[in-house]
This record gives sequence, structure tokens and C-alpha cells, in this order.
Amino acid sequence: MALIEVNNLVKQFDDKIVLKEVNLALDEGQVKVIMGPSGCGKSTLLRCLNLLDPPTSGRIVFKGEEITRPGVDVRKLRQSIGFVFQNFALYRHLTVLDNVTLALKKIKKMTARKATEKASYELERVGMFEHRDKYPAQLSGGQKQRAAIVRALAMDPAVLFLDEPTSSLDPQMSREVVSVINKLYLDNVTMFCVTHDAFLAKYISDSVVFMDEGVILAEEIAERLFYDHPDPRIRQFYLGVIDMK
Amino acid sequence: MTFWQILQVLATGAGFTILVTAASMSAGLLIGLAAAMLSRIRWKPVQHLLVAFTFVFRGIPVLVLLFIVFFGLPSIGIRVPPFLSMVLTLGLISGAYLAEIFRGAMNSVNLDEILAAEAMGMTRAQGFLYIMLPQMFRFSIPGMINEFTSVLKYTPFAYTVGIPEIMKQAMSLTPMIMRGLEVYLAVGIIYFVIYKLCLMCFTALEKRYRIPGLSAD
Repeated sequence: MALIEVNNLVKQFDDKIVLKEVNLALDEGQVKVIMGPSGCGKSTLLRCLNLLDPPTSGRIVFKGEEITRPGVDVRKLRQSIGFVFQNFALYRHLTVLDNVTLALKKIKKMTARKATEKASYELERVGMFEHRDKYPAQLSGGQKQRAAIVRALAMDPAVLFLDEPTSSLDPQMSREVVSVINKLYLDNVTMFCVTHDAFLAKYISDSVVFMDEGVILAEEIAERLFYDHPDPRIRQFYLGVIDMK
Repeated sequence: MTFWQILQVLATGAGFTILVTAASMSAGLLIGLAAAMLSRIRWKPVQHLLVAFTFVFRGIPVLVLLFIVFFGLPSIGIRVPPFLSMVLTLGLISGAYLAEIFRGAMNSVNLDEILAAEAMGMTRAQGFLYIMLPQMFRFSIPGMINEFTSVLKYTPFAYTVGIPEIMKQAMSLTPMIMRGLEVYLAVGIIYFVIYKLCLMCFTALEKRYRIPGLSAD
């Protein structure tokens, strides 16, 4: 049974239909990358999956439970889904350590000591332990994103959603983050990642979903999608990627 | 009577000045915070009410409002004691100013942080309490210091309703010793000392809650 199963998902903002009957599944331990042109509905799809944007219609099943039915415990659901934002969204008034421990203490009701132990372990895992007492404004972009990943991971989510995790980073910082996400991939962390970064997609994905205008056009392993795909729209999108080969 | 003795006599009113300032500022903080929180509600009647509140209480002179509360309300059967009249007056006026300060500070908080908190499973109230409020408070400190200064400077009006604060002491002392210049100079010095001491506390508070890397260290 898939960890997440999406059937005929539709999302409409006013008169604009952003997602058109999307069908998708994600198994435990699997990493799927969602790619496509800007505005094709990738990020909206991710936000619909944890109900930050409630779907207009369709069905989402998470861990065997339909979460699109009325009366679902949204807070409980979100505790099982780690979300990493493009712009990091770290709490500016808290240190890195406090950013990670806040939800552990307030949501998981851990004691301060246990939360610090857990946060320290996760920070160590991505090489951020030495920066634990710094504030977000004192970190580089790559460090901020790594801290944001740790904040999400510390909650022990069943799945990690990454919304364009490298798009606001320069190439060097981007590599830092790719290396962390790759490590999670090797650790079998289940992930859904929205990105424009073909390099990231290639190194962390089991398969890549290609979306355009709210529709999934293809789902393939990265290499098959990037190089010489029969669909001309996909071929056009990945023209530059051929150089990476 | 030496200048030092004049200072000592006047200082007996300093306690009331500080008390009026602290109580008025606390009332202003509560009123301002409530108004700022209500401003998040996008319901038109609430918005109109808040606009009217800030318009009225930022526009009315302190002395006029104080006289309405203390001398005006008894005519309709509401008798408000002197201290409460002063605190209510200054609380409402500073509350109107603080509401704007808090509202501006709230707008400076990155809403993605609140979204991130909610995405982790926090309630809206938790997001407000742990993310919005602490940042709003920090961003408001400079504005709060300004407002505190205004409240302190308005406290001499308390003598008009009979509160024995510094100004009241000075008004009683002057006809007795007929040395107005020294008496009112001493009043100024006491106010300056109170202001300086409070400013030191606020500066320490601002330093304590400064967000490293975000604001000038």
C-alpha cells in the first residue's frame, strides 16, 4: 500500500484551475521529484497534500486514511509531514536550536532536555551542530536551508516535503543542501521534492514526475526524462540538461 | 530652604508620578495589543470601530479627555476616582498610538514563519503566541520607548484632578517659599532623572531582546 495516494485531485483558485485531475502515489522509502515549468502547479500540489491549501475535489489517502474527508485532524496529519520551504521560513527570533526544539516542546510535548537531545542529534546529522546557537540572520543560505530541513526532520515525519529547496541558493550553497538531501535519500527518508534543479533531481530521486499546466505529463526515472524524451514539451524543458550528461 | 531640600520635598510626589506612568503604560499596552489583534480580523464593522478608536483617541488632547472622564462623567452618574481617571485617559490615548505601533510591527513579521509553524502542526493560536507575538514585541520596543516618554510627560496633568504627584507638590510649595524658578527647575531635574533611569531599563530590554544579525548590534 502506498504511503500517499492521490486520486483525481483538483485545485481551483477563483476561476483558475491549477491542478487538473492529478493522480499520484508515493511509497514508503521512495523519493519522488516533481518538476515542470513555473506556475504548472507543483508547489500547489505539495501544499494540497498536507492541506495547507485544501483541495477543491479529489481524494488523498495518507497512511491508509482518507485525509480529504470532512472532520480529519489536520494538525495531527501535519505532524506526520515535514515541510521545507523555498525561503527557509526559519523563526528569526530563535536560535537554530530553538527553531528545532520549539515544535518538539509545544507539539510533541517533549521536555526541554529531551527536545535538545533530539535536536542536537539531528543537527549533528547534517553538520549544523556547531551553528546551533546562531540566529537565522547569522547563517548562510545553505545553512538556513539545512536548519529548516533539521527542523522538519526532528519531528520524525513519515514523509518530507521539500518545496524548491535549492532555488534561492547560489551553486555552492545549493551543493551543500543537495548533499544533505542525498544523505537523507540514502537513509531511506520518504520524500516529495518540488524543484527546477535537474542536478538535485538526478541525485535524490527514484522517479521524476513532470507536470505542465496542472497535469502530470510523465513519470520516469530522471535519465529517461532528461534525455531524449518522446514528448516534445518535456524535451524542450530539459534542453540544457543534456550538457550534464 | 536649600535647593537640595526643595528636591527632597518634590521627590515625595515622584512615587505617584511613577505609579501613574506605570499604570497608564500598562493599560495602554493592553488596549494597544487588543486593538492590534482585533485589526487582524477582516470583518468591516470591527475595522471601522478600530479606525474610529484610533482617530478619536489620537486626536483628543489629554487634558480634554481627562476632564471629560473626571468632571464630565459624574453628571451622568458615573463617578471615576482621580487615579483611575488619569490611568484611563492616558491608557486610552497611548493605547491608540501603541495599536498602530503593534500593527506595524505585526506587518513586519514574515507570515511564512507562521505558515511554517502551522505546517508543522501548530494551531493558529500557537503560531501567534510563539512566533508572531515575540517578534512583534521586539520590533515594537523603539516605538514603545517613545510612547512611554509621552506618557511620562503627560503625568503632570494628574495634578488637575488632585493626585499628589511631583507637579502638585511644586504647586503647593511655590507659594510657601516664593522661589518658583528653583522649584520648577527642580521639577524638571526630577523628571529628567526618572526619564533617564527608565530609558536605561528600556535600553537594557532592547539589547536583551535584539535579534542578532537582524538588527544593528
